[in-house]
Amino acid sequence: MNWPPMLMHVKVKNERTDFGLWLPLFLLFPLALVVLLILSPLIIIAILILLALGQGRWVEFGFRCLWAAITSSWALRGLRVDVQGHHETVQVTVI
Amino acid sequence: MSENRKKILEMLAQGKINADEAYRLLGACGEEGQENRRHEDGGKRGPDIKTKPKYLRVTVTPEDNDDRAHPERVNVRIPMSLVRAGIKLTALIPPEALDKANTALKDKGINFDVRNIKPEDLEDLMEAMGDMQIDVEGSHGEKVKVFVE
Repeated sequence: MNWPPMLMHVKVKNERTDFGLWLPLFLLFPLALVVLLILSPLIIIAILILLALGQGRWVEFGFRCLWAAITSSWALRGLRVDVQGHHETVQVTVI
Repeated sequence: MSENRKKILEMLAQGKINADEAYRLLGACGEEGQENRRHEDGGKRGPDIKTKPKYLRVTVTPEDNDDRAHPERVNVRIPMSLVRAGIKLTALIPPEALDKANTALKDKGINFDVRNIKPEDLEDLMEAMGDMQIDVEGSHGEKVKVFVE
Protein backbone atom coordinates (compact mmCIF):
# COMPACT_ATOMS: atom_id res chain seq x y z
CA MET A 1 0.00 0.00 0.00
CA ASN A 2 1.23 3.47 -0.88
CA TRP A 3 1.29 5.86 2.04
CA PRO A 4 0.55 9.53 1.55
CA PRO A 5 3.38 12.04 1.98
CA MET A 6 3.90 13.01 5.60
CA LEU A 7 6.55 15.72 5.55
CA MET A 8 8.06 18.10 3.06
CA HIS A 9 11.52 19.50 3.57
CA VAL A 10 12.50 22.64 1.70
CA LYS A 11 16.04 23.91 1.98
CA VAL A 12 17.38 27.07 0.38
CA LYS A 13 21.00 28.04 0.72
CA ASN A 14 22.70 31.04 -0.84
CA GLU A 15 25.20 33.70 0.14
CA ARG A 16 22.67 35.59 2.25
CA THR A 17 20.30 32.95 3.58
CA ASP A 18 20.50 29.39 4.74
CA PHE A 19 17.24 27.99 5.95
CA GLY A 20 15.43 24.69 6.05
CA LEU A 21 11.70 24.30 6.43
CA TRP A 22 9.85 21.18 7.51
CA LEU A 23 6.23 21.22 6.38
CA PRO A 24 3.99 18.70 8.17
CA LEU A 25 1.83 17.57 5.27
CA PHE A 26 0.04 15.03 7.46
CA LEU A 27 -1.62 17.95 9.24
CA LEU A 28 -3.05 19.22 5.96
CA PHE A 29 -5.22 16.15 5.35
CA PRO A 30 -7.55 16.65 8.36
CA LEU A 31 -7.59 20.37 7.55
CA ALA A 32 -8.61 19.68 3.95
CA LEU A 33 -11.32 17.31 5.18
CA VAL A 34 -12.74 19.97 7.52
CA VAL A 35 -12.73 22.58 4.71
CA LEU A 36 -14.48 20.08 2.42
CA LEU A 37 -17.12 19.39 5.09
CA ILE A 38 -17.72 23.10 5.66
CA LEU A 39 -18.02 23.77 1.94
CA SER A 40 -20.08 20.67 1.17
CA PRO A 41 -23.49 22.44 1.30
CA LEU A 42 -22.24 24.99 -1.24
CA ILE A 43 -20.76 22.25 -3.40
CA ILE A 44 -24.04 20.30 -3.37
CA ILE A 45 -26.00 23.44 -4.32
CA ALA A 46 -23.56 24.16 -7.15
CA ILE A 47 -23.86 20.57 -8.42
CA LEU A 48 -27.68 20.72 -8.33
CA ILE A 49 -27.73 24.06 -10.20
CA LEU A 50 -25.34 22.76 -12.86
CA LEU A 51 -27.37 19.56 -13.27
CA ALA A 52 -30.59 21.59 -13.55
CA LEU A 53 -28.98 23.74 -16.23
CA GLY A 54 -27.94 20.65 -18.17
CA GLN A 55 -24.25 21.27 -17.52
CA GLY A 56 -23.58 17.89 -15.94
CA ARG A 57 -20.29 17.52 -17.79
CA TRP A 58 -18.78 20.27 -15.62
CA VAL A 59 -19.74 18.33 -12.51
CA GLU A 60 -18.04 15.25 -13.91
CA PHE A 61 -15.01 17.32 -14.93
CA GLY A 62 -14.81 18.84 -11.45
CA PHE A 63 -14.86 15.44 -9.78
CA ARG A 64 -12.24 14.11 -12.17
CA CYS A 65 -9.99 17.11 -11.41
CA LEU A 66 -10.48 16.60 -7.68
CA TRP A 67 -9.62 12.91 -7.98
CA ALA A 68 -6.55 13.72 -10.08
CA ALA A 69 -5.38 16.25 -7.49
CA ILE A 70 -5.83 13.71 -4.68
CA THR A 71 -3.99 10.90 -6.51
CA SER A 72 -1.17 13.22 -7.59
CA SER A 73 -0.60 14.57 -4.10
CA TRP A 74 -0.81 11.01 -2.71
CA ALA A 75 1.95 9.95 -5.12
CA LEU A 76 4.35 12.71 -4.11
CA ARG A 77 6.04 10.60 -1.46
CA GLY A 78 9.66 9.99 -2.46
CA LEU A 79 10.01 13.06 -4.66
CA ARG A 80 13.39 14.74 -4.41
CA VAL A 81 14.53 17.80 -6.30
CA ASP A 82 18.06 19.01 -5.75
CA VAL A 83 19.26 21.96 -7.79
CA GLN A 84 22.69 23.36 -7.14
CA GLY A 85 23.74 26.59 -8.83
CA HIS A 86 26.99 28.51 -8.59
CA HIS A 87 25.76 30.55 -5.64
CA GLU A 88 22.53 28.89 -4.61
CA THR A 89 21.23 25.47 -3.65
CA VAL A 90 17.56 24.46 -3.48
CA GLN A 91 16.45 21.11 -2.16
CA VAL A 92 12.89 19.82 -1.93
CA THR A 93 12.27 16.41 -0.41
CA VAL A 94 8.92 14.78 0.20
CA ILE A 95 8.95 12.04 2.81
CA MET B 1 17.93 -34.86 -23.32
CA SER B 2 14.24 -34.31 -24.03
CA GLU B 3 12.18 -36.66 -26.17
CA ASN B 4 11.66 -34.01 -28.86
CA ARG B 5 15.40 -33.38 -29.25
CA LYS B 6 16.04 -37.12 -29.57
CA LYS B 7 13.39 -37.39 -32.29
CA ILE B 8 14.91 -34.48 -34.22
CA LEU B 9 18.37 -36.04 -34.08
CA GLU B 10 16.95 -39.38 -35.21
CA MET B 11 15.23 -37.70 -38.15
CA LEU B 12 18.51 -36.00 -39.05
CA ALA B 13 20.38 -39.32 -38.85
CA GLN B 14 17.76 -40.97 -41.07
CA GLY B 15 18.12 -38.13 -43.59
CA LYS B 16 14.49 -37.09 -43.26
CA ILE B 17 15.54 -33.51 -42.50
CA ASN B 18 18.69 -31.57 -43.30
CA ALA B 19 21.06 -29.90 -40.81
CA ASP B 20 19.45 -26.44 -41.20
CA GLU B 21 15.99 -27.77 -40.43
CA ALA B 22 17.34 -29.74 -37.47
CA TYR B 23 19.05 -26.61 -36.15
CA ARG B 24 15.83 -24.60 -36.45
CA LEU B 25 13.78 -27.32 -34.77
CA LEU B 26 16.28 -27.69 -31.93
CA GLY B 27 16.19 -23.92 -31.42
CA ALA B 28 12.40 -24.03 -31.25
CA CYS B 29 12.62 -26.86 -28.72
CA GLY B 30 15.00 -24.83 -26.59
CA GLU B 31 12.68 -21.82 -26.57
CA GLU B 32 9.72 -24.05 -25.78
CA GLY B 33 11.63 -25.65 -22.92
CA GLN B 34 12.53 -22.28 -21.48
CA GLU B 35 8.91 -21.13 -21.80
CA ASN B 36 7.71 -24.26 -20.00
CA ARG B 37 10.20 -23.77 -17.18
CA ARG B 38 9.10 -20.15 -16.83
CA HIS B 39 5.46 -21.27 -16.57
CA GLU B 40 6.36 -23.94 -14.01
CA ASP B 41 8.07 -21.57 -11.61
CA GLY B 42 5.78 -18.64 -12.31
CA GLY B 43 8.47 -16.67 -14.13
CA LYS B 44 10.53 -16.14 -11.00
CA ARG B 45 13.74 -17.81 -12.01
CA GLY B 46 16.89 -16.89 -13.85
CA PRO B 47 17.80 -13.67 -15.62
CA ASP B 48 14.15 -12.84 -16.38
CA ILE B 49 13.68 -11.48 -12.87
CA LYS B 50 12.82 -7.82 -13.20
CA THR B 51 12.05 -5.54 -10.33
CA LYS B 52 9.51 -2.84 -10.94
CA PRO B 53 11.15 0.55 -11.41
CA LYS B 54 10.45 2.83 -8.47
CA TYR B 55 11.89 6.16 -9.49
CA LEU B 56 12.56 8.18 -12.61
CA ARG B 57 15.87 9.96 -12.20
CA VAL B 58 17.12 13.01 -14.05
CA THR B 59 20.64 14.19 -13.34
CA VAL B 60 22.65 17.00 -14.82
CA THR B 61 26.34 17.01 -13.95
CA PRO B 62 28.90 19.57 -15.03
CA GLU B 63 31.88 18.87 -17.24
CA ASP B 64 34.71 16.97 -15.58
CA ASN B 65 37.16 19.86 -15.68
CA ASP B 66 34.74 22.39 -14.15
CA ASP B 67 37.03 23.77 -11.47
CA ARG B 68 34.59 26.25 -9.94
CA ALA B 69 33.89 25.87 -6.23
CA HIS B 70 30.16 25.21 -6.73
CA PRO B 71 29.44 23.79 -10.18
CA GLU B 72 25.82 23.62 -11.34
CA ARG B 73 24.15 20.28 -10.67
CA VAL B 74 20.61 18.98 -10.88
CA ASN B 75 19.40 15.79 -9.29
CA VAL B 76 15.70 14.97 -9.55
CA ARG B 77 14.05 11.78 -8.33
CA ILE B 78 10.42 11.34 -9.33
CA PRO B 79 8.40 8.43 -7.93
CA MET B 80 6.90 6.25 -10.66
CA SER B 81 3.52 6.55 -8.95
CA LEU B 82 3.68 10.29 -9.66
CA VAL B 83 4.56 9.61 -13.30
CA ARG B 84 1.54 7.27 -13.45
CA ALA B 85 -0.71 9.91 -11.93
CA GLY B 86 0.70 12.46 -14.37
CA ILE B 87 -0.07 10.30 -17.38
CA LYS B 88 -3.60 9.76 -16.09
CA LEU B 89 -3.95 13.54 -15.92
CA THR B 90 -3.73 13.67 -19.71
CA ALA B 91 -7.38 12.56 -19.70
CA LEU B 92 -8.23 16.03 -18.36
CA ILE B 93 -6.45 17.91 -21.13
CA PRO B 94 -8.92 19.36 -23.65
CA PRO B 95 -8.62 17.93 -27.20
CA GLU B 96 -7.71 21.36 -28.64
CA ALA B 97 -4.66 21.52 -26.38
CA LEU B 98 -3.63 18.00 -27.44
CA ASP B 99 -3.90 19.07 -31.09
CA LYS B 100 -1.63 22.03 -30.35
CA ALA B 101 0.87 19.76 -28.58
CA ASN B 102 0.87 17.37 -31.55
CA THR B 103 1.45 20.25 -33.97
CA ALA B 104 4.32 21.57 -31.83
CA LEU B 105 5.89 18.10 -31.71
CA LYS B 106 5.56 17.77 -35.49
CA ASP B 107 7.25 21.14 -35.94
CA LYS B 108 10.17 19.82 -33.93
CA GLY B 109 10.32 16.75 -36.18
CA ILE B 110 8.72 14.35 -33.70
CA ASN B 111 5.88 12.44 -35.30
CA PHE B 112 4.00 11.35 -32.20
CA ASP B 113 0.35 11.60 -31.27
CA VAL B 114 0.05 12.32 -27.54
CA ARG B 115 -3.53 11.03 -27.64
CA ASN B 116 -2.06 7.57 -28.09
CA ILE B 117 -0.90 7.56 -24.46
CA LYS B 118 -3.74 5.68 -22.81
CA PRO B 119 -4.01 4.65 -19.16
CA GLU B 120 -4.54 1.03 -20.34
CA ASP B 121 -1.02 0.97 -21.84
CA LEU B 122 0.50 2.50 -18.74
CA GLU B 123 1.78 -0.68 -17.11
CA ASP B 124 3.51 -1.85 -20.31
CA LEU B 125 5.06 1.58 -20.67
CA MET B 126 6.30 1.54 -17.09
CA GLU B 127 7.78 -1.93 -17.55
CA ALA B 128 9.51 -0.88 -20.76
CA MET B 129 10.97 2.14 -19.00
CA GLY B 130 12.98 -0.23 -16.82
CA ASP B 131 15.43 -0.71 -19.68
CA MET B 132 15.57 2.95 -20.62
CA GLN B 133 18.59 5.17 -20.19
CA ILE B 134 19.14 8.46 -21.99
CA ASP B 135 22.59 10.06 -21.97
CA VAL B 136 23.02 13.49 -23.49
CA GLU B 137 26.24 15.46 -23.52
CA GLY B 138 25.79 19.20 -23.96
CA SER B 139 27.97 21.55 -25.97
CA HIS B 140 29.58 22.88 -22.77
CA GLY B 141 30.46 19.41 -21.51
CA GLU B 142 27.52 18.99 -19.14
CA LYS B 143 26.02 15.52 -18.97
CA VAL B 144 22.29 14.86 -18.76
CA LYS B 145 21.13 11.41 -17.72
CA VAL B 146 17.56 10.15 -17.62
CA PHE B 147 17.04 6.67 -16.23
CA VAL B 148 14.86 4.62 -13.91
CA GLU B 149 15.91 2.77 -10.77
